[in-house]
Amino acid sequence: MITPLKALRKNRFKTVLIFISMSVSICAIFLISAISGGVVGMFSSMLKTDGDIIVTQKGIADTFFSDINATLVKPISHMEGVKEVSALILGAAPVDALPIVGIYGVSEGRFKSYHLTHGHYPSRGEVLLGSKIDDTLKHPSSIILSKKTFHVSGVFKSRIGFEDGGVVMGLSDGGELFHKSASIILISLNDLSKSDSVKDQVQMLSADLEAKTTDSFIDSYNQFKIIKTSSDVIGAMAFLMGILGIVSMMSMVVNDRKGEFGIMRSIGLSSRVIILKLLSETLIVAVVAFFVAWGISEGVLELIEHADKFQGYINGEITTVLLIKVFMVSVVMALFGTFMPALYASRIDPMSLIQKDRA
Amino acid sequence: MKIIAKGLEHYYAHEHVLRGIDLNIEPGSFTAIVGESGSGKTTLLSILSTLLQPSSGEVLYDAKLLAQWGNIDLFRRRHIGFVFQFHYLISYLTLRENIALASLGEFQGEIDPLMERLGIDRLGRRYSDEVSGGERQRAAIARSLINHPSIVFADEPTGNLDTKNALGVYELFAEFSRQNTTFVVASHDKKITEFADTIIEMEDGIVKNIFTR
Ligand SMILES: Nc1ncnc2c1ncn2[C@@H]1O[C@H](COP(=O)(O)OP(=O)(O)O)[C@@H](O)[C@H]1O
Ligand SMILES: [Mg+2]
Repeated sequence: MITPLKALRKNRFKTVLIFISMSVSICAIFLISAISGGVVGMFSSMLKTDGDIIVTQKGIADTFFSDINATLVKPISHMEGVKEVSALILGAAPVDALPIVGIYGVSEGRFKSYHLTHGHYPSRGEVLLGSKIDDTLKHPSSIILSKKTFHVSGVFKSRIGFEDGGVVMGLSDGGELFHKSASIILISLNDLSKSDSVKDQVQMLSADLEAKTTDSFIDSYNQFKIIKTSSDVIGAMAFLMGILGIVSMMSMVVNDRKGEFGIMRSIGLSSRVIILKLLSETLIVAVVAFFVAWGISEGVLELIEHADKFQGYINGEITTVLLIKVFMVSVVMALFGTFMPALYASRIDPMSLIQKDRA
Repeated sequence: MKIIAKGLEHYYAHEHVLRGIDLNIEPGSFTAIVGESGSGKTTLLSILSTLLQPSSGEVLYDAKLLAQWGNIDLFRRRHIGFVFQFHYLISYLTLRENIALASLGEFQGEIDPLMERLGIDRLGRRYSDEVSGGERQRAAIARSLINHPSIVFADEPTGNLDTKNALGVYELFAEFSRQNTTFVVASHDKKITEFADTIIEMEDGIVKNIFTR
């Protein structure tokens, strides 16, 4: 362990460069994964709060476009195994000076899932504000939404950034605003084994409906797929950049240290030993870079979460699973990036030591 | 270890630098390869010491070809020590760590006695740029000797040393060769002939003379 540390210290300038390049790549991977995971996670937990099954219009690309009949709530609530059914309108509209804000029209039964910090649930012509947007608008007593004035009846706090930066109103007000009676219907079950039969029965109600478990809805939701794919692509690019950074720096390091590896070969250290020495050096750097990048990423996520500009829409969380994944990615990055230069080092001909002092 | 070289020839590109060399190196001898610069000393030494493949001819180590000894790294580590003109210690390791890096496990305990014998026992924790040229070369010699090699090869080991330190190095070689380590040393320094017991004189890629004391 002493030897790689000494070697790293001796070549400290390049060690620092490798460290920076790795940290930047790892940070990028952390941030893009955490943020995309956060966006997807927020929306899914919003849907999961009280929905085991989600009903939308058939074949729509986005829940915003979904238009279904809210009166379906009644027949569905009589189905066997169903605990609660609520209709939801999802929309977006300008509010006062804010260009775009999430608007949620919910049936009365769903109000209780919003934790009020003050005020009361809205009746017609009234809205609840998420604490974030309430702060941004400086605690207004009324807001203007699509040229209509709504009275603010209360403020709620939600862990889910989308909701905390959004406006909640009754289903009928939402319906008038967006010209539909519901976007989606959420069904919660008291018996999960009935999920298939409930799905079938819902789809019998109208050919225009599509019922999915919330989990499979989330998996197949296009917007999520786009977010995930782009984050995977950006993550892969960061990974490649990291590897390229290591390869080029390590090639320079090996070149600087040719004599050293020639000596090792001449005293009979095997190629394997030399490769392992170099790998252990970059692994040490990778582990340190990983922890530093973790710290920096947590800081950046904290900043983003509290930045007014994003209205809390963007919040990423570095989960244990993500930590483990990124750790493994860092290790793989170090190994891949070092292998070729190390192989080259391990094949340096000790003859070069003699040739150099050719008298 | 007895080394027999038969019909060694070597070309660099089209330059014919070794032109038919046959010689025997006896176990425990102190053999000096001398001759003008460019006569082929380094090339011959490189071939004898496994670092270079001759264009033709063969070298036998105790009657076996190198290939018959198996793993070349292990062969070098167990049987061969090298001393180069420039000390070639690893700069970020202390003198003692340099020796320890070469040492096989069973000889780790001999590092300190060996350093003491070479008069560098107080310098174990220094780095190579913190000691004199002579001390550095002694550390390199200690490194070459730590695994009790049968044979130590040195190319111009005193090329960077003043006369006093050079003589000290020759004395060490003579002393260890009396205890059965073989030394093969290429040098254009005439002084070495006073210490070596076998002198191979090279000229233009052939052996001109061999003297034995
Ligand atoms: N790597 C090489 N490539 C081409 N020519 C070389 C190389 N090494 C040595 N030579 C040439 O071979 C001849 C013998 O060199 P060398 O064995 O180093 O002699 P010495 O050690 O006696 O000075 C010289 O003419 C030298 O220029
Ligand atoms: Mg020479």
